[in-house]
Amino acid sequence: MLTDPDLAADAARGNDSAFAELVRRHQARVRGMSRRLTASSGDADDIAQATFLTAWQKIGTYAGGTFAAWICTICYREFLQVRRRQRPEIEFDETAEIIPFDRTMADTGDKMDLSRALARLPEAQRICVTLCVAASLSHREAAEATGWPLGTIKSHVTRGVAALRKHLAADQVA
Amino acid sequence: MRDEDTYADLTALFTAEDREQEAKPFVDQVMGRIRAQARMRKLLLAVTGLGGALLAASQLPKLLADSVGLDSSLTTSILQAQEDVSALASANPLWLGIGAVVMLSLMAVAAMERA
Repeated sequence: MLTDPDLAADAARGNDSAFAELVRRHQARVRGMSRRLTASSGDADDIAQATFLTAWQKIGTYAGGTFAAWICTICYREFLQVRRRQRPEIEFDETAEIIPFDRTMADTGDKMDLSRALARLPEAQRICVTLCVAASLSHREAAEATGWPLGTIKSHVTRGVAALRKHLAADQVA
Repeated sequence: MRDEDTYADLTALFTAEDREQEAKPFVDQVMGRIRAQARMRKLLLAVTGLGGALLAASQLPKLLADSVGLDSSLTTSILQAQEDVSALASANPLWLGIGAVVMLSLMAVAAMERA
């Protein structure tokens, strides 16, 4: 089976089947990430699609390393662009408290617990947990994707994971 | 213990949630858009190439007449046809406008398609 860098090299030579395989491999991660970063599933799908379209245009700039980190970085930047367009008047605030997600009542069970628990985190923690815990990026990769210091990422992830566990436990008791 | 090991259980929960999403429609949608862009690019290249070729061809009769002495009646009729077309276009500025809009559209597509 071809590795991600092999497929990316083929895609850079114009082979769209190779790129389709990359999309198939990474779509779940990117769609999950964009869904967790945004408030609506509509925006999430748009961001996920825009991520892969941008990746196709910039595939020639992929210089090895973890493809997942590369594509997640693009996804995070697409999220920031959508966010700026939607709320240009609001500056990003790392210390901001809860920004509630707009969840439908159709979500149930573990999925609902997980989504609800994640939605309760402050935005910076939610971003770090989404990148490191949900999308499995290393702390260093998350730091490169967001441009935040490594220590800040580690701190947000540690606090975010603790808070997430607390919320999940509280949901299970309730 | 690595940092990642402390939340491996949560990562597994998120991964399981992500796997529930159906891949094929999404992949088809993304690849459909990519292939549509590629078709547009090919069309643009073909149109631009054709335009360039026509432009080059329009200069050919005069060049051949000057350099290799092509039959003057042939070159004269081609040049006359070119002049007729130019006169027609300048007589009705709408054609120039349409041409300009088409060229601008092509340039915009080219600029947007691969930034």
